[in-house]
Amino acid sequence: MLIKKMWRDLLGNKTQFVSIFLMSLLGMLVFVGLDAESSGAGIVVNDYYKKYNLCDIWIQGAGFSDDDIRTARKVGGIEDVEKRLSLTGTVEKYDNAYAYINFVTTNNISSMMLYEGEPYTKDSKGVWLQEWFATHNNIRVGDIIRVKIDSLYIDAEVKGLIDCPEYVYYVSESDMMYPNYEKCALMFMSEIMYPDREHMIFNQLLVDVKEEISDEENIILLKEKLEKAFDREDIAVTDRNQNLSFATFDSEVKQHKAMGIMFSAVFLTIALLGIVTTMARVTASQRTQIGTLKALGFSKMTITFHYVSYGLVISAAGCIIGAFIGYAVLAPWILGFFVGSYLVPGLRGIITGLDVTVTVVSVIIAAIVSFFSCRKELKDAPAVTLKPPAPKKIKHTMIEKSKLWLMLDFSTQWNIRDILRNKMRSFMGILGVVGCSMLLICGFGCFDSINGLMDKMYGELMTAKNKIVLSQEADIGYAYDLAVKYKGQMVQETSVEFVSGKVKKSGSATIIDKGNYIHIQDKALKPVKLNKSGIAMTNKMAGLLQVKEGDFVKWHLVGDDEWQYSRILQIYRDPSIQGITMYRSVYEDLHYSFKPTAILTNKSVPKEIIDEDEISSVLNIADMKAAFSETMEMMNAMIYIMVIAAVLLGVVVLYNLGVLSFVEKTREVATLKVLGFKSGRIRNILQKQNIWLTIIGICLGLYAGWGMLYIICTTVSDTLDMYPIISFATYMYSIVGTFLVSIAVNFMFSGKVKTIDMVDALKGVE
Amino acid sequence: MIMNIFDKKKSEAEQVDIIDLDNDKTLDKNKKLKTASKENKKRKKVLIEFKNVSKKYDQGENVFYALKDASLTINEGEMVVILGPSGAGKSTLLNLLGGMDSASEGHIWFDGEDLTTFSDNLLTKYRAQNVGVVFQFYNLIPTLTAYENVALMKDIKNDTTDPKEALSAVGLAEHMHQFPSQMSGGEQQRTSIARAVAKNPRLLLCDEPTGALDTDTGREVLKLLQDMSREKKRTVVMVTHNSFFADIADTVIRVKNGGIESVVHNDSPKDASVVNW
Repeated sequence: MLIKKMWRDLLGNKTQFVSIFLMSLLGMLVFVGLDAESSGAGIVVNDYYKKYNLCDIWIQGAGFSDDDIRTARKVGGIEDVEKRLSLTGTVEKYDNAYAYINFVTTNNISSMMLYEGEPYTKDSKGVWLQEWFATHNNIRVGDIIRVKIDSLYIDAEVKGLIDCPEYVYYVSESDMMYPNYEKCALMFMSEIMYPDREHMIFNQLLVDVKEEISDEENIILLKEKLEKAFDREDIAVTDRNQNLSFATFDSEVKQHKAMGIMFSAVFLTIALLGIVTTMARVTASQRTQIGTLKALGFSKMTITFHYVSYGLVISAAGCIIGAFIGYAVLAPWILGFFVGSYLVPGLRGIITGLDVTVTVVSVIIAAIVSFFSCRKELKDAPAVTLKPPAPKKIKHTMIEKSKLWLMLDFSTQWNIRDILRNKMRSFMGILGVVGCSMLLICGFGCFDSINGLMDKMYGELMTAKNKIVLSQEADIGYAYDLAVKYKGQMVQETSVEFVSGKVKKSGSATIIDKGNYIHIQDKALKPVKLNKSGIAMTNKMAGLLQVKEGDFVKWHLVGDDEWQYSRILQIYRDPSIQGITMYRSVYEDLHYSFKPTAILTNKSVPKEIIDEDEISSVLNIADMKAAFSETMEMMNAMIYIMVIAAVLLGVVVLYNLGVLSFVEKTREVATLKVLGFKSGRIRNILQKQNIWLTIIGICLGLYAGWGMLYIICTTVSDTLDMYPIISFATYMYSIVGTFLVSIAVNFMFSGKVKTIDMVDALKGVE
Repeated sequence: MIMNIFDKKKSEAEQVDIIDLDNDKTLDKNKKLKTASKENKKRKKVLIEFKNVSKKYDQGENVFYALKDASLTINEGEMVVILGPSGAGKSTLLNLLGGMDSASEGHIWFDGEDLTTFSDNLLTKYRAQNVGVVFQFYNLIPTLTAYENVALMKDIKNDTTDPKEALSAVGLAEHMHQFPSQMSGGEQQRTSIARAVAKNPRLLLCDEPTGALDTDTGREVLKLLQDMSREKKRTVVMVTHNSFFADIADTVIRVKNGGIESVVHNDSPKDASVVNW
C-alpha cells in the first residue's frame, strides 16, 4: 500500500519530481553520451591500431639501408622493422591536392585497411589511395592518377581504396590545423614504383615492438636503446605520443571525456540539490502523515525507506533513461562529427564499466540525499510529529537590527527576510541561474574564442593576403626574385626537435626575412618586436618543455644532425604553430643556409604560377579562413549541447524553485490579499526577489563561465594555444538570455497569485 | 520475556494481574502479583498500569509538567473515558498509553511489560501489534482510498481483518474505494476506526474521536466504539473534554492540571445511542 501512496504522491508533486527526473536524466545523458562516445572512439581506434599493426617507434633520418634494419633488429624486444620512403607531393588535377606518398616494402607495419580493390603485395604496380579522398573526388579503382613529387612524375593506376592506422588524422602543409581530406591525399605504393630507384633513399624505419613490452615505459627505454644502437646524430626516434595522428586523436578523446565530466557534474549537482529541496518540502508537508504512520506502528525504517524511494525511484528512472538516450542518441550524434575529421572506420559508442558505476553511484547518492532530507521529520516521537511543527525560531539578522532596515520599504524587507529564512531554496535558485549563465557564456565564448583565434592567425600574426608555397626545387635565388616581383616576404618553415631535461618535443621553426607580414605577440597578447639577435619560443612550447625566458634549450632541424644549444630570448604566443621563430640573420649566424619555403604577399598572384616546378601551391588567406571555420563542426556540436543544456537547466531549476517557493508562500500571499494588497503589487514583491537572485546568479555565472571557457581553451590540445575571448555580444546574450528565462518562469508562477483563493488558502491544515 | 506481549497466546497464559474493583484505586504492587483465578467474575485482568508517571518538558530555566505523578490501572475489555479540560494532560496520557511518547519518570506496565524500558524499536513493535489509534482529525493517508488505508495495516501485522470486512463492519462497504477527500467527516472517522480495528489491537485509543463531527454522526461513532468494547471485548480508551461521554464508560478517569483527579467506575453505563450533548 505504501507503494501506491508513493506513486500517488509522486503524481501529486509531479512538477518537482519531473524536474528532478529531468535533471538526473540530463546529467546522465551528457555523461554517458560523452563517455560512451569517447570510450567507444578510444576502444574502436585501439582495435584498429592493433589489427593493422600501427607502428610503435618511428626512426626518421636522411637515409636508411638494409644494414640499418639489421642494426635495429638486434635491439632486444623488437618484433619487426621495415623501411619506408615518405614524401609529400601533389596530385595533378583535383586542384593539385597535397599528397602524402609512402613507398613501402612489405607493409606489415602500419598496414593498409582495404575497402575496395585488390590487396597490396610487395611487387604489385599501382597505387593504393585513401578512400575519403578518392570517393569525394570521384576516383575509382582502375583510374589513373598522376602524382608529382618535386620534379618527378608518377602515373599510376588506382588498385585499391584504403585507410591506414597511421593516418587517422593528417593535415596538409597549408592548413596546419584542420584536416581537409578532400584536398589532401594519402597514398601507398610499392618501392618498385619509385621512378629513380638508383637514387632512392628510404627516410624512415618503422619499428614494431613486441606486444608484451609495448607499454609507455618500455617504449621510452627502447627508444634510448635504438638511439644508442644507431649512434647517429641525424636521426629522430619518435613514438606514438609524438605522432601527430595518434596524439591528436588521443587528446580529442581525452578532451571529450573531460567535457563530459564537467557538464555532468554541473547537472548532477543541481539534480541532487533539487532532490534535497523537494524531499525536504514533501516530507515537511507530510509531517502529520509521517506521525500517523508512526503511531500506527510502522517502523522508522519502513517509513524512511518509503520516503527514500521517492528520490530513488525518480533519480533511478532519470539516470537510467538518461544513460540510455546518451548511449543511443547523443554518442552516435557526436561521433558523426568525427567523420571528416578523423579517418577511423566503424566508430561507435560503447558503454563502459565507468558509465554503469557512475549511474549506480548517482542513484545511490540521490537515495542518501533523500534520506538526509527526510530524517528531520523522522527523528521525533510520533506524539511530537503528529502535532504541527513548532514555529521556526526567528532571530533578527544584522540587517534587521541596523537603522538602515527601517528605511527600506515593505517589499524589500519582506524579500530580505524570505531569502534569509529560506537559504537553501535561495541558494538553489542562485545556483540554477549560475549554471544557466555559465553555460551560455561558455558556449558563446567558444564561438568568440574560435573567431578570435582566426582573426589573430590571419589578421594580426600573419597579415599577408596570399601565401606562395615553394617546392624543394626553389632555391634562394628563385625565391628572392619572386619576393621582389610580388613585394613579398620570404619565410622558411621547418620541423625541429627540442630537448630540455628529459622532455623531448617536436615543433616547428619559422625563419623570417625582411618584411612586414609576420608579427608576434607577447604572453599578454600585446604586439612586440621579434628580437633581432636570438630565438623566440612560443609560450605553449616553453610550457611543455618546462623552460622560461633566459633558459637554454637544445634543438636540431629534422634531417640535420647538428644540435644547437640556444638561449630563449623571448617568449611569444601563437595559437596554432608551436615552436620557435627567429630572423634570417640569426639563423644564418648558426651556419645554416636560409631556404625559403613560402613567400607572403599582399599582391594578387596569378593561378598559372603553379605550373612552375618551383611552386607547389598558392594559398588565399580568405580560403584558409573559410576552410578553417568549416572544420570546426565538432566544436560547434559541443557548443550547441552547451547552449541547449543551459536553457534547459535554467528552465528546469527555476521552474522547480518557482513551484517550491510558490507553494510555501501561498498562505502568506493569501494573507497579504486579505489585508488588501492588490494582486499586481504582490506579484511585484515576488518578482523582486527573483530579480535579486537572478542578478546575483548572473554575476557569479559570468565569472564561472569564464573559468569554464578558460579550462576548455587551455586543455583543447598540445598544438593549439587558445585564449578565452568573451565578446560584449556574448555577455549581452548570456545576461539577457538568463534574465528572460528567469523572468518568464517566474512570471508563470506570479501569475497564479490571482488564482489563489483567500478563504481556501487560509483554512486550517487538515 | 519482554517480547511476550507481542504474542497473544503467550500473554493469555498464567501471569494475570488482578485488582479488586471495590478496593482503593491505587494498587499495591505486591498485591497485584498475588495469585489469581480466572473464574472470579468480579475480578478483571489488568491490561495497563501507570505508576507515578510524569512527563516533563525542559524549557530552559523552568520545567513544565504535562503529566505529574499519575497512577492508574485499566482493565482488559473495559471502555474507559479520560475526561478533562484542554491542557490537563489527556493527550499526554493517551500518547504514553499508545507508546507514541515516552515517560520522563515512573513506570507503565502493559500486560506485565514495562513500556518505559522499551527501546524505540520495541515501542514501534508494541504500537504495531497491540495498539489501534483513532485520531480527532482522522489522519487518513490522503493519497490512499478508504480500502487502501485499511489495507495498509497488512504491511505491519500478519493477522489483520480483511479490509472489506472491517469497512463493512463500520458501514462503509459502499464507499470503500473513495479517497478521504471524497468522504464526509463521519465517513472518514469510521474509516479511521476500521483501520484501527483491522489490526485486532488489544488496546483501541481514541483522541476526541467526535471532536470534528456533528452530534448525530458523533453518536454513531461512539456507538461503534462502545460496540467494540462490549461485543468484541476490546479495551477502548477514549480521550475527550466532553463530560457527557462519561455516561457511556465503564471507568471514567478525570484529569486536571497534569494529575489524576478521580477514577470512577460505572456499573451501568448508558448505551451510546442515547447520549446527548
